[in-house]
Amino acid sequence: MHTTFMRYLTVSLLGATLLQVAAASELVVIVSSKSPVTTLRQEQVADIFLGQIANFPGGLEAVALDQSIGSPERDEFYTKVTSKTRPLVKAYWTKMIFTGRGQPPKEIGSSAAVRKMVADNPSLIGYIDKSALDASVKTVLLVR
Amino acid sequence: MRNSTHLPTRLPSTVHVLALAVLMLAGGAARAVDNTYPTWTFSGFGSLGVAHADYDQADFTSNIFKGEGTGASHKWNGNLDSRLGGQLSVALDKQWSAVVQLGVEQRYDLSYRPQVEWANIKYQVTPDLALRVGRIALPIFLAADYRKIGYAYPWVRTPNEVYGGVPITNSDGVDLAYRWRHAGIKHTTQAFYGRNSIYLTDTTGVKARGVSGITHTAELGPATVRVSAFTAVLDVNVVRPLFDGFRQFGSRGIAIADQYDVVDKRFTGYTLGLNYDPGKWFLMAEAGQTNGRSFLAKSVGMYASAGYRSGEFTPYLTYSMVDAKSPTSHPGLPLAGLPPGPAFVARQLNGGLDKLLKAIGSQSSVTAGVRWDFRPDMALKVQYDRVTPRDGSRGTLINLEPGFQSGRPVHVTSAVLDFVF
Repeated sequence: MHTTFMRYLTVSLLGATLLQVAAASELVVIVSSKSPVTTLRQEQVADIFLGQIANFPGGLEAVALDQSIGSPERDEFYTKVTSKTRPLVKAYWTKMIFTGRGQPPKEIGSSAAVRKMVADNPSLIGYIDKSALDASVKTVLLVR
Repeated sequence: MRNSTHLPTRLPSTVHVLALAVLMLAGGAARAVDNTYPTWTFSGFGSLGVAHADYDQADFTSNIFKGEGTGASHKWNGNLDSRLGGQLSVALDKQWSAVVQLGVEQRYDLSYRPQVEWANIKYQVTPDLALRVGRIALPIFLAADYRKIGYAYPWVRTPNEVYGGVPITNSDGVDLAYRWRHAGIKHTTQAFYGRNSIYLTDTTGVKARGVSGITHTAELGPATVRVSAFTAVLDVNVVRPLFDGFRQFGSRGIAIADQYDVVDKRFTGYTLGLNYDPGKWFLMAEAGQTNGRSFLAKSVGMYASAGYRSGEFTPYLTYSMVDAKSPTSHPGLPLAGLPPGPAFVARQLNGGLDKLLKAIGSQSSVTAGVRWDFRPDMALKVQYDRVTPRDGSRGTLINLEPGFQSGRPVHVTSAVLDFVF
């Protein structure tokens, strides 16, 4: 009885979440279709984008690409994946830069520009609007 | 450096050579956009601040290496929290990189001579193991290695009750940082060894050798814990004339000088810091114990700070305190039986010692403020501090006037514009 209720609750909550996500733009985290990486957890993606790890699981070098500062995709990505708003991401990188621990990802512009670069290089990882997906890249995480 | 004078004018030679080396490593290359090496990066930071204190019997200041604060010297002081810095770094390849950071702020002698905060060469042995040689920031507190960069933390300044316990921000030597993971927890273990010379005036300064320690940082999700332990052998000659005076008064005087003067005295410290930051709010708390076995007394400081992020605004509250754990008074030289001349001198010396021991701070502060992130690279902060030196001490206040009273709260209002570029 209890488990049935829980399942019902989970399904309806999931449904509500999916509806919410569908209402907003949907973001996906992508790597090149040539990459051996198939899926990543949210924490792994956050670690790569925040310069905490430099490699994909399996050892391949991981280099993150950002969309333009101020773009809705970028704000949504960091809020959802790293729980950091734009000023917090900035403050985070200020700490990293001025303690010599790293530099933020390079800025590449739009979803299409990120997809084009990621497609050519298995080391790169980016986030794009789901509508910009094509066969040159593959989704490793659905951003919720 | 082997010279016993403290003139740190000779110190920059090493650092300047390093700085120059970095600048010359790949002359003229501009900021790189792709993955070609060498990659040059310039980053700058600054703070424009003004602070006001309602007190005319002492100065409130941001750290002990300031010559003036706000209060007795100036009702309003724009020098307390204002600074400008720049950092040039170059990555030669995936392993080798170098960085130079220069900063300008008002110093103890009220000048604005630039200081080399950092100048080091880093060798990334593996993606998780890094070795640095040169001038390196000391990672003793959570925000210690970026305490000059206001933009990176929520407050106008780091809580002086805790951060003031270790005002030295860097050392010249080596450090090793190792990142590792265990059971989902991210660990960073960092060990450092070096020396430091701080210029105060032409004849005074602080010299630290054998600066060594270990810092461990563990992160799990939004939680960060940092513990550190460190030690150094210090020589501080700021009050040397006073103790040289005591040394003229035979064994009692020499005993007092040996007890309180900082000549090759071991300084030890331990810190524990916690940060919980899920994004919408934050909680930060740190405690530190330092012991200088001298007039740099044993003391324990702590603070707890919480803030709530609401859009561009982050209101915060902080409580901080420091308690002296060594005696803050000494009977001084016995005056009985001294002829009038020496008795006069001894009384002066006793008065000086009393003043010095009063400086062993016991103090509590309550801070309320708000940070406004009104632009991507700028934050405006307004902060109110109610600072109460206790137990007969002057706390972290400086430049005492004769009418100074311990126990009377000082109200400080500050505003600062922090930016990075």
